Amino acid sequence: MAVKIMIVDDSPFSRTLLADIFSEGNYEVIAEADSLDTAVEMYNRKKPDIVTMDIAMPGHDGFEVSRALLHNDPNVKIILSSSMKDYETEMQAKRIGIAGYVQKPFEAAELFSVIDKVLSPDNLFEELLRTGLEAFKEALSQNITRMAKSPLSFAENSSISEPYISKGITSIIGITGQYTGTMIMDLSTETSNNLTKAILHRAPKNSEEMLAVVSELANIIGGRACSMLNKKEKALGLRVSPPSMFHGELAELVSPSLKIEQSLSKTDYGDIFLGVGFKKGATLWM
Amino acid sequence: MDVNIINPVLTAFKEILPQIGIQNVEKTSLSLTGPLFSYKGILLNIAVVGSIKGAILITMDKESAKKVAAKMMMGMEVTEFNDLALSALSEMGNMVCANACTQFSKIDVEGLDISPPTLLMSDTECQVTLPVPKTISIDLLCDNIPIKLHVGLM
Repeated sequence: MAVKIMIVDDSPFSRTLLADIFSEGNYEVIAEADSLDTAVEMYNRKKPDIVTMDIAMPGHDGFEVSRALLHNDPNVKIILSSSMKDYETEMQAKRIGIAGYVQKPFEAAELFSVIDKVLSPDNLFEELLRTGLEAFKEALSQNITRMAKSPLSFAENSSISEPYISKGITSIIGITGQYTGTMIMDLSTETSNNLTKAILHRAPKNSEEMLAVVSELANIIGGRACSMLNKKEKALGLRVSPPSMFHGELAELVSPSLKIEQSLSKTDYGDIFLGVGFKKGATLWM
Repeated sequence: MDVNIINPVLTAFKEILPQIGIQNVEKTSLSLTGPLFSYKGILLNIAVVGSIKGAILITMDKESAKKVAAKMMMGMEVTEFNDLALSALSEMGNMVCANACTQFSKIDVEGLDISPPTLLMSDTECQVTLPVPKTISIDLLCDNIPIKLHVGLM
């Protein structure tokens, strides 16, 4: 079956040119639009498999139209086209969630190959989803064993309550790279205290010191896990942010934009919750 | 930390919010604090990685968050924080911070990337410690809805 295409471009000339290229392959141009409003309306009416998007348009530019389309349907697959190919434009497209990027003037072979990649299953991402949490569990296990000299075991995943309510101290680390993600480590104040004592060989001086130790532990686990994953798959290029720490009363943790795989580890010092999730933004760049 | 570091984030707010149904963004106060502050209600944490790193946090009380979600959902009434409302709020954070990275690139801070937002919800006062020595907190009034922005970047 032909791949259904919608072309968003303000220039009738460019639209004709693109339609012409698409007629060379197994594609069917089912809709065209030249503005934000017509793009959303046509998309909802025709449900194309792929939307090609020009960056430079009067009124709303291609980024704004893409944002509106993604807001309307997060699963829309947009391929951005621009005569400029610079790093920041690519980064901006990636952050918005645009699936691919081609440079003008269009080469049929290049355009078809980007569409192919956007529509085919992403094995690297599937593999990351399958093995990501394991790498973080291994990093947690290694570091608790080494730093706090305590063995660690993992509980059944089904034992974790949903929605997850923080036990007291939550570290959140952001992950960027080929895919973006989040690591959440959560433990009670008591567990944090016990763990800090074991790591420092003395009681923490105050809650700031305890927080700093937990934050550093989260940082090491996140960094270690990502470098293990990068070592296996260089293309991942994962990087971590330093942890934001949340502490205090019961806060509910939600991750609306990605599914968090969870695990609960049992140590002599108490339970440690670990949650990891990855998201596919734009991944396919030529 | 240079207080001007918040300008790209503020520009992003002013550029993105009108696109999601909130026309007026007004800065009512700005303060420089240490890494520790508190929030009650809804908090969005978005990590920033690149030549500057840290986090951008957006906090609101629950009623304000419902109003923001309602505006984003074309005025649909929001009475509880269901998946749709939470995802709308998270998307607002994502759009603002993605745009902030673009604004940073205009002042030659290039190649920044952001993590997906994590959302925390609490009915009591909770503490936050950011991995930076100083945080800039900004009170915004967005179509009369109070939103607080905490920028901890270095």
